[in-house]
Amino acid sequence: MAKPTPSQTVGPFFARELLWKDGGTVLFAGRGERITLTGCVFDGVGAPIFDALFETWQADPAGTFPSGDDGARPYGYGRVSTDRDGRYAIETMMPGPFKGPGGETYAPQISVSIFARGLLKALRTRVFLAPLDAIKDDPLARAIGDTTRLRTLIAARDPRDPKIYRWDVRLRGAGEAVFIEL
Amino acid sequence: MAETPVADIHPPYLYPDYNSTRLRAPSQPLVRVAPSPLETAGPAFPKQFVKDSEADLTTWGRSAPLGEKMVLVGRVLDEGGRPVRRSLVEVWQANASGKYPHPVDDHDAPLDPNFLGKGQLLTDDEGRYRLVTVKPGAYPWQNHAFGWRPAHIHFSLFGNAYAQRLITQMFFPGDPLLAIDPIFQSVPEAGRSLLIAVLDLEHGIEGVALGYRWDMVLRGPRATPMGV
Repeated sequence: MAKPTPSQTVGPFFARELLWKDGGTVLFAGRGERITLTGCVFDGVGAPIFDALFETWQADPAGTFPSGDDGARPYGYGRVSTDRDGRYAIETMMPGPFKGPGGETYAPQISVSIFARGLLKALRTRVFLAPLDAIKDDPLARAIGDTTRLRTLIAARDPRDPKIYRWDVRLRGAGEAVFIEL
Repeated sequence: MAETPVADIHPPYLYPDYNSTRLRAPSQPLVRVAPSPLETAGPAFPKQFVKDSEADLTTWGRSAPLGEKMVLVGRVLDEGGRPVRRSLVEVWQANASGKYPHPVDDHDAPLDPNFLGKGQLLTDDEGRYRLVTVKPGAYPWQNHAFGWRPAHIHFSLFGNAYAQRLITQMFFPGDPLLAIDPIFQSVPEAGRSLLIAVLDLEHGIEGVALGYRWDMVLRGPRATPMGV
């Protein structure tokens, strides 16, 4: 087996090189109701991380994995940088649940990768777009077990605008999100 | 399950000599899970997403950029040695003076109007790529007294599966700054040589450009179906 190439930080100088035009609007083959996943990324003392690259990959509302493109961009993938307040926003469609190889059900979720200066490796996780009682059988929810930690991965539906899901990400310390190794 | 001990190859999140890791590295251990079927699939980049000209960083301006012209060739493989085909590779780098055309780069070095330092390409059916650029300059940074980043080219790879996604940096052989660079040194010793290109003159252009070669290896069968 060849050794994998080690990871290195994305550094502070990426934005112009890696961002896509309208990268925060995720495209799909079909039409459907649009939602927005938004929030802020914070460091270990609660300061906003203003130079993160935030990427998302998800199933479509039927739980199908996007495989095509619109001629210019791949379906299903979101890519933005955080702003001065650490804020990101991904305008997309609600992902449907899907099955794993052993028949297990993955709850509605978006796979997230965060890259930034000071991150020598990507931080990877999955954010759930469903309440706690609806994700208990999800493989990651089961692996985490602890409800307090699991809640760090649940996006909260905005009571005033049900199309908005809010998810803040704390990289370190109090309220630290669960990150995963695939 | 027998696996490459990735802990011996990849840097840790917390590496105090690289100051920015101290407030950004998670303090809790990662939760280990199998990649979901979503994560063993990945985004499809249309052919027209990249233009052939984007693999040559030296032809964007009205004349040639300053610096030492170079050709970089290599392959993107998975851990089983299989080519990672038609996958997106993005690169960005400082110019020959060690300056990025980026608003937060405050290094007092000249911009080069003929060099943007940005490129992208899709690997071919053998996982091969070829990039034409200039050797980036070293530049000072504020991490520690007399700190200078060694010359490096940033690489962003999508592979053929979301779980293969990787961002890394390529360095140059024989660079004395590697020894004082905490970002490079954060990689465990067993992995460091994997980040250094080798001189490969025959892939250069006679009388015009130096040749270098660098292969990249993305995680393999555990994450991806065979042969993708």
